[in-house]
Amino acid sequence: MPLIEEPDLMTAPDLTTRVPRPRRMSRSLAVQLRLSVAAVAICTVIWWVVGSHSYFWPKWVWLPLGTLSVAHASLREVALRTTGRARLLALHGWIAVLVILFLTVVWTFADPGDRFWPRWVVFAFFLSLIVHVALARPGRRRGASDVERVLTERVDELTRTRRGALDVQTVELRRIERDLHDGAQARLVALSLKLGRAEERLREQPEAALLVREAHRDADLAIAELRELARGIAPPILADRGLAEAVRALGRRSGIAVAVRADVPRRLPPSVELAAYFIVAEALTNAVKHAGTPTHPATATVTLDVVGATLVVQVADDGPGGANALGSGLAGLAQRAAALDGTFTVGDLGSASPGGSVGGTVVRAELPCG
Amino acid sequence: MGDRGPRSGASAGDRLRVVLVEDNVLLREGLTALLREHDVEVVDSLGEAGPLAAVLDLATARARVDVAILDIRLPPTFTDEGIRAAVALRRTRPGLGVLVLSQYVELAYTAELLAAGSAGVGYLLKERIGDVREFLDALRRVAAGGTALDREVIAELVGARSAAAGPGELAALTAREREVLALMAEGRSNSAIAATLVVGPGAVEKHIANIFAKLGLPAVAADHRRVLAALTYLRATEPA
Repeated sequence: MPLIEEPDLMTAPDLTTRVPRPRRMSRSLAVQLRLSVAAVAICTVIWWVVGSHSYFWPKWVWLPLGTLSVAHASLREVALRTTGRARLLALHGWIAVLVILFLTVVWTFADPGDRFWPRWVVFAFFLSLIVHVALARPGRRRGASDVERVLTERVDELTRTRRGALDVQTVELRRIERDLHDGAQARLVALSLKLGRAEERLREQPEAALLVREAHRDADLAIAELRELARGIAPPILADRGLAEAVRALGRRSGIAVAVRADVPRRLPPSVELAAYFIVAEALTNAVKHAGTPTHPATATVTLDVVGATLVVQVADDGPGGANALGSGLAGLAQRAAALDGTFTVGDLGSASPGGSVGGTVVRAELPCG
Repeated sequence: MGDRGPRSGASAGDRLRVVLVEDNVLLREGLTALLREHDVEVVDSLGEAGPLAAVLDLATARARVDVAILDIRLPPTFTDEGIRAAVALRRTRPGLGVLVLSQYVELAYTAELLAAGSAGVGYLLKERIGDVREFLDALRRVAAGGTALDREVIAELVGARSAAAGPGELAALTAREREVLALMAEGRSNSAIAATLVVGPGAVEKHIANIFAKLGLPAVAADHRRVLAALTYLRATEPA
């Protein structure tokens, strides 16, 4: 099954390359240019075909359409290349230039013999620019918009690198599990095999056979412990079969009755699956510890849902409620969720259940999963 | 998938012939040595599942192959190649026993393996091999068309069923009957169950009859079918 943004398991992702900003023409500008060129071409053809070649009337189509296209393209460039106060001044100046040019061309087309009437507009813009510069000059301190820009860029970068760091961590954990599997665990299994074969050859020597049998048992215990350890680091079933199947396995092993309702239509980013898995694991452990009594064993319900771009994980038990949200186990879960920019809440169900007990704890995490 | 009856023309003393797929060299050599010491012919041992079909074609041209023993984590991705190869083998070579070995057992894989029927399939933790007699018994069981499921996966099922069930279901069984149920689900024969629990075969038959009655299981004769019956019962609380 394809994973979203699965990092190459052999190499860590390169966190130092920056994504360059795309320098393509904007779609609206491209559309406008195409329409303008089409309109201009059509008018020129009509003029040429109609035949009265004295007065080039298409120039009145060329002018506004050309001005609009030039204005669109140039103003967008100015806006992209500048920020803050400099941007306002640049836009102001460039608009002045465009308007004056436009009016000059109109004056040229209309009747150049007349006095240069656009001069009034020139004068007005000149004044406005002087006023603008004068107001912007004194104490050219960093405006609020500059600070905002820097902060926004920093937040974007931190979000990107944090997600990258978590993905690296997940890949690392899987590598550790794999190293354990191929290394120490495999050696212990081979050791256990050898001890089994040795036991067979010691039927005539019961004392030695006993020692070897005990050594064999110790090896098997070590194997089982390593297996549990590996499951606590990066459970193989999670990587191979996904979150829903891994959570079902958690439910079966928990020791209490656990109903799992999973509606996860696709594989999620590895760091999200891992965090969700450990959240469910800890919540179930909590339920086993606190929610049951000898006469009324706890039951729990785990739900997994993908709502839009968010994974919603919920573990509810039917115990007495009153969970301490700052208890060390649950506090760690809040951190896991926060590291992924998610939310984490612990609360009481609050309503009386048909069995007569009041309460019940609900652990809920919402994790963005893009 | 049809019933996999006793191997035609084979007697109980016939040498087993197996093909082994395990990428860890230490384990491959250890397992090969152990098998050869116990009169099992290792026809070929591979480090990955790719060439398996070709190897099996070659080998079966000379003489039957009884069991393919597969590790789960194999190249190239080291995730579940072995399970996928095993499931494919169940489909393409129904007469071939398939024994999957792994350093961890998961019910999800058990279900995938059993989906094509419970005849001639096994799924064991690798360390079980160290218990030589039991491992060879499991291997022969699979070769003969029976079932060999690891006790850890059965224990997980029984535990989950006990937790989920209300009073009057698994709770109605005595502790001894629950033991027998678990051993049945692993695929053991009556005599093997009797040996494991150190009781007489008659006692085992009585226990089994009680279990079937109390749980309302269909009365079936063949071992591998009763494995399915036991497993179906144990899995009854799994969501669809």
